[in-house]
Amino acid sequence: MSYSTFNQEQTNPLTEPMFLGNSVNVARYDQQKHSIFEKLIEKQISFFWRPEEIDVSRDRVDFNKLTDSEKHVFISNLKYQTLLDSIQGRSPNIALLPIVSIPELETWIETWSFFETIHSRSYTHILRNLFTDPSEVFEDIVINEQIKIRANDISQYYDDLIFYTQLWQTHGEGEVTVDGETYNVTQREIKKKLFLCINSVNALEAIRFYVSFACTFAFAERELMEGNAKIIKLIARDENVHLTSTQHILNLWQYGEDDPEMKEIAEELRDEAYEIFMTAVKQEKQWAHYLFKDGSMIGLNESMLCQYVEYIANLRMQAIGFDAPFENMRSNPLPWMNKYLVSDNVQVAPQEAEITSYLVGQIDSEVNASDLGDFDL
Amino acid sequence: MTKTFKVKVNGGPELAVDATEGTLLEALEKHQLEMHYHCRSGFCGACRTKLNSGQVRYTTEPLAYVRKGDILPCCCVPESDLDIEH
Ligand code: FES
Ligand SMILES: [Fe+2]
Ligand SMILES: [Fe+2]
Repeated sequence: MSYSTFNQEQTNPLTEPMFLGNSVNVARYDQQKHSIFEKLIEKQISFFWRPEEIDVSRDRVDFNKLTDSEKHVFISNLKYQTLLDSIQGRSPNIALLPIVSIPELETWIETWSFFETIHSRSYTHILRNLFTDPSEVFEDIVINEQIKIRANDISQYYDDLIFYTQLWQTHGEGEVTVDGETYNVTQREIKKKLFLCINSVNALEAIRFYVSFACTFAFAERELMEGNAKIIKLIARDENVHLTSTQHILNLWQYGEDDPEMKEIAEELRDEAYEIFMTAVKQEKQWAHYLFKDGSMIGLNESMLCQYVEYIANLRMQAIGFDAPFENMRSNPLPWMNKYLVSDNVQVAPQEAEITSYLVGQIDSEVNASDLGDFDL
Repeated sequence: MTKTFKVKVNGGPELAVDATEGTLLEALEKHQLEMHYHCRSGFCGACRTKLNSGQVRYTTEPLAYVRKGDILPCCCVPESDLDIEH
């Protein structure tokens, strides 16, 4: 069962399940079992952006004008997002690549994780601009209790899957004793861990960012910290693509369009999947409470944020086949959020020179010889 | 040339929607309905809507998972009269 970087067996990726079939060999995309992942790769790459091209210098002036409680909101959110993207920049690769069985999904996972690293780099870009030495902010991420609770809840599902996969790769199926503890390693057990892990990641991509997104955009509504808001807008657009991918994986399983055993597991663990999501909802509400412990900010308070979490949770739960858990939160309590989440809006404003600069390459490549006809060299 | 269909939302009155004028989402917004959306281009799934009856045509290929009986109004237009739940 040990992993080979190039499986020499002749396999047919068109009949492989997404995960835990034969491991991948030729990275080919001319034929695809689930072409959606290739389309998501294209979409995601078309969204490429670089943090350094977004001017955040004015934010420093704005930041100094914020009240202490607003500063707390702003910095805490950045810390939490830094945590989330630190996890996402590596974990899909480490946990999912060893067990993926179709090349288009393998490449999607790599693309997805790579974009999370862009997000991580953008937080450094933002913080460097605000503080001469941002170390204190970064160092707090592994000490801050509120963040630790969340870190633990997210990483445990990844870690569990990674550990069982490692046991399976080194010992095969059966009982394995490590440090006095015995683990029963079966492929079905790994599939269960995988199912729970994808549900936890799905909840992360679905709602875990939205409390902090809402704060960022509430500042932007007051024309504060707008450089930061531009970056978060781009991040939000990427997160929506990531979310679509985890929703696809969960739905392909549960509607029997992939591995029949995963369909069984999806039914068997449906309640646990529901709980994972609801725990994330609860934690996000607690996060809103933590953010506003010293006071609200103009345009936003704890209860509005909690309502927004419920509103988003309804949409996200329905997308993976659950009923909306918050029946009385069907209408959007923060309608202004939408204008920041629209994808076409991202490149429109003419003053966003940093963003339109992405078009430069495109225009250059369209200049052909006849355009240069009048030039005498 | 206009192509007008009747669209019923959440059991409400029938609304006239011209399929040649923008997406179903835009049309329903013009009728002052509060619509759910984020990306408005078919990849996030936030506009997901239940189609009770009728047919739509996608003007952009949706990338969000569209479950049986659902439609994404941000990237489709009606092809017949519709009855939807949003
Ligand atoms: S608004 Fe994103 S898919 Fe329709
Ligand atoms: Fe991210
Ligand atoms: Fe993400």
